[in-house]
This record gives sequence, C-alpha cells and structure tokens, in this order.
Amino acid sequence: MGIPLEQLLQAIPFEQLLIQTVNGIVTGMILALVASGLTLIFGIMDVVNFAHGELFMLGAYVGVITLAATGNFWVALVVATLTIALLGAAIHVTTLRPLLGRDPLTTILATFGISLVLQNYALWQFGPVARKIQEPFTGHFTLFYLDYPWYRLVIALLSAAIIGALWLFLKFGTYGIWIRATTQDRVMAQAMGIPVPSVLTVVFAIGAGMAAASGVLFGPLVGVNHAMGLDWVLKAFIVVVVGGMGNLGGSIAASIFIGLMESYASLWVSPAQAVIFSFVVLILTLLFRPTGLFVPTPK
Amino acid sequence: MTLGNASTDPLVKVEDIHTYYGKSHTLHGVSLEVGRGEVVGLLGRNGVGKSTTLKAIMGIVRPSQGEVLFEGRPITHLPTHRLARLGIGYVPEDRRIFRLLTVMENLRTGLDRRGVTDARKKQLLEKVYDYFPVLAERRNQAGGTLSGGEQQMLAIARAMMLEPKIILLDEPTEGLMPRMVSQIRQIIDVLHHEGAAILLVEQNVPLTLEASQRIYIMEKGVVRHHAVASKLRVSDAVIHQYLGV
Ligand SMILES: Nc1ncnc2c1ncn2[C@@H]1O[C@H](COP(=O)(O)OP(=O)(O)OP(=O)(O)O)[C@@H](O)[C@H]1O
Ligand SMILES: [Mg+2]
Repeated sequence: MGIPLEQLLQAIPFEQLLIQTVNGIVTGMILALVASGLTLIFGIMDVVNFAHGELFMLGAYVGVITLAATGNFWVALVVATLTIALLGAAIHVTTLRPLLGRDPLTTILATFGISLVLQNYALWQFGPVARKIQEPFTGHFTLFYLDYPWYRLVIALLSAAIIGALWLFLKFGTYGIWIRATTQDRVMAQAMGIPVPSVLTVVFAIGAGMAAASGVLFGPLVGVNHAMGLDWVLKAFIVVVVGGMGNLGGSIAASIFIGLMESYASLWVSPAQAVIFSFVVLILTLLFRPTGLFVPTPK
Repeated sequence: MTLGNASTDPLVKVEDIHTYYGKSHTLHGVSLEVGRGEVVGLLGRNGVGKSTTLKAIMGIVRPSQGEVLFEGRPITHLPTHRLARLGIGYVPEDRRIFRLLTVMENLRTGLDRRGVTDARKKQLLEKVYDYFPVLAERRNQAGGTLSGGEQQMLAIARAMMLEPKIILLDEPTEGLMPRMVSQIRQIIDVLHHEGAAILLVEQNVPLTLEASQRIYIMEKGVVRHHAVASKLRVSDAVIHQYLGV
C-alpha cells in the first residue's frame, strides 16, 4: 500500500514478468483441463460434480499403477483416462441416473457422498504416503536466467489439444449435436429420438476421463496422494463460477485469467497468499456478475 | 398385452387416460383414436388439456391411468426417445427449436439415426428444403435467429426428419401472419397426401374443419364431442357451445 505503481514495477525485472506470464499461461491451461470436465458436466447435466477431484486423484493412481507395470507414461495416460471414464459411466448409471428430474440438491449430496467413498477407498488401498509419477522427459530449456522444464510446456500444449478435441467433438459429428441439443432442451431432444439418458452417461464419462487425464499429467508436478484432488478442484470450481457455470469458453478464459493473476501476484506475495486473489475474484464475481465474467451479458 | 393386428388397429389409440400436474387432475379419462394416414383435429378452449393429451401420447407426461396404443401395442411406458424412433413426430406449441443449433443441426437431430442411408438423408433434406426454401437459405443460421413463422416451419421440418407415421401438431398457426398460415395449411395437405397421419390441435376452427377428416372437441379434461369434419360447420351449435367465446 502507498507504494507508487511505477516504483513497484521498477522493482521487478522485465524477464521475471515474462517468466511469470509463461508460468501463468501454463498453469491456466492445466487448470482449464480440470475445469472443462467440471463445466461440461454442469453445463449439460446440471450436476455439480463434487467427486471431480476424486476422479482426478484416482486417475493419477491408475497412472501410477500402469506406469509401474508398463514403464510407459503415455500408455499410463491413456489407460487411466479410459479406466476412469468407465468408472464415471458406472457412477452415472448407478447413482445419478436414478436421480434424474429430482431436486438438484440430491445430485450434490450424491456426488459429495461418492467423493467421500472414493477418497477413503484410495486412502485404504494406497495408504497415506504420496506416490510419484516420473515425467516422460526431464529436459529443460533456458528462459532468460531460468531453467524451465519442457514437461510443463508440454502439459499446457496437451491440455490445449485435449480441450480442442473436446470442442471439435461437440461442434461436429452427430454425438456432439445430440449433446448440445440435450443441453438446450432435454425434453425436445428426447422427442427427436435422442437417447438422452445414454447421452448424459457419455458426457459424465468424458468429464471423468478428462479429470483422470489431468491427474496423470499433473502427477509429476504435485505427487499423488488421496487428497491431491482438493486443491485443484477448489480452484477449478472458482474458474467454473468466474467463467460462467457451464460455459466451456468462459472456463478456459477464466482459467488463464486466474493462472496469470496468481502468477503475477506471487511476484509480490508468496504463492500460498496469491490464492487469496482468486477468492477475491470469486467473491467479486458472485457479488457483481453472478452469471460469470466471461459470458456475454444476457439480453 | 395383445399382439396388434397392423391392418385393423388404429395407428394411435388413446384409452381413458388420466394425468396429473402435481395434485391438479388435468385429463379425466381422454379417449380418441387416429387411423393410418388420417388427419384428426382436436379442438377446445384454452386450458382444456389438448396439449397435455399430445404430451401424454409422446410420453412427456405420464398417465396415471389408462393406456396409449401405437399400432395396437401399448406404449405408455416407453421412453419418449423410443416413441420418436417408432414413428411419432412432435411439433410442440412453443416450437422448442434448439436455438443455439443451426437450422441444419436442428434437422440433423432427427436425421442422424441408425438405418438411414446417406442417399435417403439427402432425399429427406431436399424434400423439406423444397417445401420450405427459406430453411435452405438459412441452413447455417442459428435456430434462435429465425422469425416465428420460420421457426414453426423448422419445427415441422425437424419432425419430418423422423419419417413419422404420425405427427402431433400443436397449434402450428398460432401467432402467424395469414401468408404463413396458408403455407402451414398446405404442408398439412402435403403430409396427408404422403400418407402421414396428423393429430392437429388448433384454435383456428375453419382451418381445422377444412384440413381434418374427423374432429374431437374437448372440455375440462375430457372429450365431449366427436364428429366427421365435413358434417361440421363453424356456425354449428356444438362449435358455439364448446369453442364460442
Ligand atoms: N407443466 C404444468 N404444470 C402445471 N399445470 C399445467 C402444466 N401444463 C399445463 N398445466 C395446466 O393443465 C391444464 C391443461 O393444459 P394444456 O396445456 O393441456 O391445455 P390446452 O388445451 O393445450 O390449452 P391452450 O389452448 O392454452 O394451449 C391447464 O389448466 C394448465 O394450466
Ligand atoms: Mg396447448
């Protein structure tokens, strides 16, 4: 407080500003991958999935196991994604489909219950000690005076690619049309012969698979334990609200926004304190623009 | 459960159905039938349960009692999407266009189903674009940007994509300009000549009497009157009794 902005900026070397920009975008892209599964499920199914973090965590564990068995990171990534997508489909059919048409509160309670079950299952099965996923390559490149790991850049690009693939899937192709029609008018979609219950299961499975993929991609950075889902998913929830619940483009924009903001904030304060800025943005959004920052003003 | 005999059973038979919205009892035992290729009008004042009857046939509202039969088989417990695939097309009164989907995508919701060859898809699309040239012009435009009349055409065209044996048409001319009304009137005739059955709910009595072969008149959740359309006149006492204002 009280320090002129010019003086503040002068204190920070230009290179560091650029490094934090790269960092912010990379973190933002990874966050976008976690958040897009969440926002997809909310936007299409009206389900706030409190078990998203546990699907993320279980994905990482399946990754750990597959990596140990095969030694190949990319195989682990694919196996984890598919396994958790199947688990997501099973969860949807057994737990969420019977609640279709009920009060949304029931689905919140159901997913919250699932999250507790999965988290404690992981604790029982894998124990409290964190596991490590070895990144597929360990090279660095020089960003000014800093050794920047290639792997972080690759995750950001992969996240972008996965989100891009999701977008293409929704935009083109019959199933994408079915999903979008179901989002807009579930009853009319059924009247057009679209098998809405199966469409919803597929959407939940895709969201779950995306959570698992982010869990594996993230494993090398954070370590895998039963509670690893909490942090990221909390942030993903912020992103989903700030981006406009259910709005895929908005969530991506919000992810990058939050990523950059925390990154810049950590030039002045510690990264742990930088999180406070995200909550401030969340509260301001809820107060002044509850439909989300990154959505066009409704007519 | 009886096995239907395709040649003698009516296409759709509604048998004494009762429906509720929460605690309010909306249909009190509605019965009617529609034969193959037949255009049947369903008239009645506001709020008597015409739309609810169509929704009950489509499985959108579940009857608490009574049965709906399609080609002689009970369909009351089938999910709505199965009914659509069986050959029941639905054009709701508020049109319910997928507003963010393009015109083409709206049509594809019904067109992209198993068992339809690419050649057949092309044929079906050409047919509706032929009837509704304005839809061809606007094929890449979002459904929500169309005018009311254009949305009505799209709603009908979209139902046609299912190649339905019957179309449930709920107030297709409501709020349309006279020119649009006569276009809708023509398309009803075209569908009729192609062999589709139509259950037509309308407020426009002269149009319904002209377009239909038979008429049902509802009052307060039941069918009160049933007549051959050509025997009814707009000036008849029954029309005045049940529809006059
Ligand atoms: N979703 C609903 N929830 C509660 N009540 C409803 C609902 N839909 C319709 N109703 C009520 O059920 C009754 C029958 O409605 P319905 O829409 O079937 O009438 P209608 O004959 O189609 O009327 P209109 O000519 O106005 O379209 C009305 O009293 C209406 O208010
Ligand atoms: Mg109505």
